[in-house]
Amino acid sequence: MPKASRPSARSLLVRFDKLSVAIGQLGASDLETRGALRADVMSLIERVPAQEARACVSLRLVAETLRTDRDRGDRQAALHRAASVLLGAVRGYLASPAAPDRLQLLEGPERSTIAIMRNLPESSPALKPRTSDLIGQPDRPPRSVVARADTLPPLSLPNDTDRALLGDFCDEAREYIESAEAALLVLERAPEDGESVQTVMRAFHSIKGTAGFLKLDGLVALAHHGESLLGERRRREGFAGRIAALSLRALDALSGAIKNLDASRDGARLAYPAGFLEVLRELEEIDAAPAGPAPVSAASRSAAPAVTARDAGTAHSARVRLDRLDALVDLVGELVVAHWMIAQDPASGRDHPELSRKVAHAGKLVRDLHDMSMGMRMVPLRGTCNKLVRLARDLAQRAGKDVDCRVEGEMTELDRNMVELVADPLMHMVRNAIDHGIETPDERTAAGKPAAGRLTLSATQVNGQVVIDLRDDGRGLQRDRILQRAEARGIVRPGDQLSDADVLDLIFAPGLSTADQVTDVSGRGVGMDVVRRNIQALHGRVDVQSAPGEGTTITLRVPLTLAITDGMLVRVGAERYIVPTTNVVVSFRPERGALFTVAGRGEMVRLRKDVLPLVRLHRLLGADGACEDPVSALLMVVGAAERRCALLVDSILGQQQVVAKPVTAGIGEVPGIAGAAILGDGRVGLILDVPQLFELARRAQPFLGTQAVA
Amino acid sequence: MSTHATAGKYLTFFLGAEEYGMEILAVHEIIGVLPITRVPRTPPFVRGVINLRGRVISILDLRLKFDLPAVDPGPTSCIIVVAAHAAHVGLLVDRVSEVADIAAADIEPPPSLGAGVHTDYLVGIAKSASRVRLLLDITRVIDASDLAGSAGSPTAA
Repeated sequence: MPKASRPSARSLLVRFDKLSVAIGQLGASDLETRGALRADVMSLIERVPAQEARACVSLRLVAETLRTDRDRGDRQAALHRAASVLLGAVRGYLASPAAPDRLQLLEGPERSTIAIMRNLPESSPALKPRTSDLIGQPDRPPRSVVARADTLPPLSLPNDTDRALLGDFCDEAREYIESAEAALLVLERAPEDGESVQTVMRAFHSIKGTAGFLKLDGLVALAHHGESLLGERRRREGFAGRIAALSLRALDALSGAIKNLDASRDGARLAYPAGFLEVLRELEEIDAAPAGPAPVSAASRSAAPAVTARDAGTAHSARVRLDRLDALVDLVGELVVAHWMIAQDPASGRDHPELSRKVAHAGKLVRDLHDMSMGMRMVPLRGTCNKLVRLARDLAQRAGKDVDCRVEGEMTELDRNMVELVADPLMHMVRNAIDHGIETPDERTAAGKPAAGRLTLSATQVNGQVVIDLRDDGRGLQRDRILQRAEARGIVRPGDQLSDADVLDLIFAPGLSTADQVTDVSGRGVGMDVVRRNIQALHGRVDVQSAPGEGTTITLRVPLTLAITDGMLVRVGAERYIVPTTNVVVSFRPERGALFTVAGRGEMVRLRKDVLPLVRLHRLLGADGACEDPVSALLMVVGAAERRCALLVDSILGQQQVVAKPVTAGIGEVPGIAGAAILGDGRVGLILDVPQLFELARRAQPFLGTQAVA
Repeated sequence: MSTHATAGKYLTFFLGAEEYGMEILAVHEIIGVLPITRVPRTPPFVRGVINLRGRVISILDLRLKFDLPAVDPGPTSCIIVVAAHAAHVGLLVDRVSEVADIAAADIEPPPSLGAGVHTDYLVGIAKSASRVRLLLDITRVIDASDLAGSAGSPTAA
């Protein structure tokens, strides 16, 4: 928040008194008053402390509506109500900022503002009005007004740009682009699909509208030409060849520009992405080509229903801010714990069967609520799948291969944070499959296979995990080549007895790339080892199956969400910790004879054929009163990547699912601790970060480093 | 936050016999002492974390932070929850005193006490007839506790 030129509270109060009077009298087309009011609201936003972010959002809604709303009677009246309620509240707040109930003060009106805005007859049914609703859809700019690539100034934002609005625009544009990309893929198979055409045009149209409002002339121009490419031009020439290719590139260019705009909010330098101007130039060219007898009325018609169609599409969903959703999930988690405490209370126990029946019933509802609230963060994998298909197509084209890409189970859902994190490994796997797996059409024909290779991406949910298979029908992994390469790199010794599965597993070893030549898409040393590491970081696993000549299947298994960790609760002296179950291999109480030391200090334990370093968790974490003798305590074998060790713990208290929360606020990152969770008794338990524990232990005990189990 | 304390409402509290004040706007709420879970490998002034209605917040012991002798929480001990940046942090103090309206005329700049005494967080001294209150810039206290930046923190050394 800028500190300079901030009006004093007193002068603001005077202005707000005038403001509330003015808002009551505001005429529908009184532009001057409107501008003045908006300025006041904007300065108010500056006054509201940062922690009252919600109030800022409401104020911004008011400000933006004031800015451009035109002659819409009902909406106007609703705005008056919203604005005066809100301004009244903020005036009160400014008069006594230290009032203890200041949050409630703002929350009430804020809710009613949202409710009012939400019930506007013309706005979308979404919880939050779309920016395009707020600012209205500007009229289709005449062609002469659209900026030209040759005279386009560098991408920049006006100084008075509303940063938050820009953020909303970026979010929205990304959604539009994503759905437009999916629609273009449909169009490739079914060029006449009217709904898909509408989806793409709607995307261009909406981006154009908001970009125009933000004075992003280049984006306006590109979206404008994109829209007419899909509109008039497609109607005449059909969706094929040049039009199809250019539509995709136009979306890419917009997507790149949006990415840059988004990054600029964090201070990155703003510029058009590479290729943006070229695409714009090509679009201009095609748009300027002699227009046939295209009916002009059809073009203007296409713009109007675009908006209503999109509104109809969102009628079944509401946009909810993520922080609110997270807060809801937190609250429900708290409710689960609160209920547990009631259920455990002796007062509600055996002596009162009636009460305990009611408590049990409430418990069922609480659990259902918990499941449902977790479900609200789930999103389908469809967006990621579409991107992957797109990628596969582009790569295949570049490599001169013919690939038929299929997706199964694209509606399988995953926590939205998780979706982003699996996208990169999947992209890498797709690159590998196209680059190394699937053969060229000639090779395939020679091998008696259909010329077009097939790549199938399928997702299913099994036992609280999402299983994603990427299957190709290419040449398969060649056992001999992998083995040869692994020997050359010293990953295995010549003469080692390895099963087929062991050999295939070598593709996940660092430094092994089976590509004979490095291409521009894969084989640059970032290989499957990174994929495995990333997936393991998500508490998931990767496996590979392959048959020579028949193809390769790579399987990812990831938990539905990172928010819930399946953990073993262990006691170490006076402390309790949660060890993620994915890291736990086995627990056992050692015999005296299984314990030995190396060089007098490195403690080791033998478990069947393995020899594992013993890590005294209580020393590593400084816990008091822990059991010192492994024979009367417990060893928990944990693993991460290829490393294993045995943690000395007092006892295992049980297994439970916990909601992981960050522990860093105010104290920064804590090595060895992945997060915190509220335990059944309402206290906080810490979740251990096993890979980091290995690091800590290695530093304390240099010996551990050499004990990697391959 | 400016380097000098400004007039306004302050929440005052005691650490031993010393009375401190922090801007009321930073205060989110004041709670009793809840069971604290120790966090390993953190400096002593980090008491640990608590469950504040489903939210995990860290607790800093201001006594230890200011190099005062450690004392176990007693019946008057309180946790002052402050909003720092986007998160909340709890500050363990001996006793909360009052919300005081401190006038600009009563505020003096912090004295320089020479080497060995930490005055980094001190932004002013409020003097009235009967008492002296040390005014803190609480954001700075918390920033200096962040382990990521602990290299520059005098108390972590």
